[in-house]
Amino acid sequence: MPREKSAVYRDLSDAVLNLEEEKAAATAQEVVAAGYDAYEAIDQGLADGMARAGKLFEEDEYFVPELLIAADAMYAGLGVLRPHIKIDQSRAPGRVVIGVIEGDTHDIGKNLVKIILEAKGFETRDLGRDIPPAAFAQAAREFNAEIIAISTLMTTTMAGMEKVISLLKDGGDRDKFRVMVGGAPISATFAEKIGADGYAANAVEAGELAVRLVSELRGGIRD
Amino acid sequence: MPTHDLMTPRERLAAIKAGRPYDRLRCVPSISNTTARVLGCKVSELRRDGETLARATIATYRRFRYDTVRVFTDLYVQPEAMGAKVRVPLDETAHLDAPAINTVAEIAALTPHNPHTDGPLPALLQATRLVYEALNDEVPVTCAVEGPFTLAALLVGAETISRWMFKEPAAAHRLLEIAYRACSRLAAAIIATGAAPSLTDAMSSSTVISPKHFREFALPYLKRLVGDIRERSGAAPGLHICGKTAPIWEGMVETGASCLSIDNLADLRAAKKLVGDRVCLMGNIPPSEVLLRGAPADVRRAALKCIREAGDNPGGFILASGCSLPTETPFANIDAMMDAAREVGYPVAEGLAKITN
Repeated sequence: MPREKSAVYRDLSDAVLNLEEEKAAATAQEVVAAGYDAYEAIDQGLADGMARAGKLFEEDEYFVPELLIAADAMYAGLGVLRPHIKIDQSRAPGRVVIGVIEGDTHDIGKNLVKIILEAKGFETRDLGRDIPPAAFAQAAREFNAEIIAISTLMTTTMAGMEKVISLLKDGGDRDKFRVMVGGAPISATFAEKIGADGYAANAVEAGELAVRLVSELRGGIRD
Repeated sequence: MPTHDLMTPRERLAAIKAGRPYDRLRCVPSISNTTARVLGCKVSELRRDGETLARATIATYRRFRYDTVRVFTDLYVQPEAMGAKVRVPLDETAHLDAPAINTVAEIAALTPHNPHTDGPLPALLQATRLVYEALNDEVPVTCAVEGPFTLAALLVGAETISRWMFKEPAAAHRLLEIAYRACSRLAAAIIATGAAPSLTDAMSSSTVISPKHFREFALPYLKRLVGDIRERSGAAPGLHICGKTAPIWEGMVETGASCLSIDNLADLRAAKKLVGDRVCLMGNIPPSEVLLRGAPADVRRAALKCIREAGDNPGGFILASGCSLPTETPFANIDAMMDAAREVGYPVAEGLAKITN
């Protein structure tokens, strides 16, 4: 007799929150064995745990290493559950091209944002680090992305973010995309100054921002 | 650029230490590769030869007349000397391409660098010696050394050290021991040039690791490093940590550092209250928002705010940028920062009271 669904999802969430990689994988196996819905388990279990870890991060209870280990646990669970997800297009909240701008090779922040976005069901194309502005624009067009997410840790590379936006303007398709920026030296003021559509101070906020930007884009809202 | 200073930095420092009147608060824009813009060379040339770095550093001091000269290009000179791969673009700050090691097993073969022979360190030391010889009579000369935790994070990659702190703590400590020995060797070599090491430990920030991990993995090695420096030179170094640091200010004081340099994400007034009677404080004009992208009037406003917050710090105060300045920081903004300290003058409280806008 399998345990209640809600109890299993709670365990999944707790395993991520408590940085327990093996428990996350084992609990994910339990989901599969019981025949529960894999997407629901990801959403209400793994992603929920990641969101709770993110909350602790915002409250200065968790730090970057804790989020990384939480992500390891989430990925351990995802690895088990992914093959069991029933494809349902209506669930995919959107497509994101993500990367670290040219001149910077720090990618922890970008990787965390990617994890959160994937947990929210976004399809992501990870361009990696040290990516020229033109490659962001090109990849966004090829991938039919709705969101372009650009990260940097270094003040020296911030100008590249502005360049991505001007390249989209030059291409005449600026309105097809929503551009979000983040990273240690970035601020909401800076994002506004360069004409980005949004700024997120951390990975959890970035996930919420991406959801908002996509619904804006689909709703045709342009402020 | 005419300077309105009445004292040299050395004279000012001596007066402050003796409790005598002085002309203005000390002021240190933490300049790094902006020196290339002053000299008119490419950023990569600074890293390639010590003479160019020395000439650029000296010219930049003479242009702005700040209170501590720091020989610094980037944080990757030590990691490179120990096998990390560093990319050096022609005219931008160098960055880390690949760590020196990736696995626990590789720690066994990793050794501390020899600062006199390895990677870019001989050039850095040559520059430090030249700058010291040219300027030491007038202004204290330092050379940056990253803290052991930051060096360890650069040697193995930030994600890997993060995982090791949880899953392989013994391996993390073995790596930190090697990093500490490297830092201590570089510090000794800097002291031998006559200059003073100045510590910077970005990865120890509470924006990155928990205060608990700071205590376990960063603090013990920082403490030993500060102790080594004090033993060899007779003076304790300053310590800069970026990002949020309020939870670790006590720990930063425990290292034995003489001066805490804090980021604009940290509150000078709170730092003054908690540790200001025990250490000098340095900070914290936002480097990118204000010094890079603002106008001189914004810089002045931010500088006055810092002085109002901590100008009366019992352990002393140095007006500084919250972190190293981006290469393209406008000269006019660096001048505006220096001029704010000059405008307030001495005594600081009276100078501030006279400023109404």
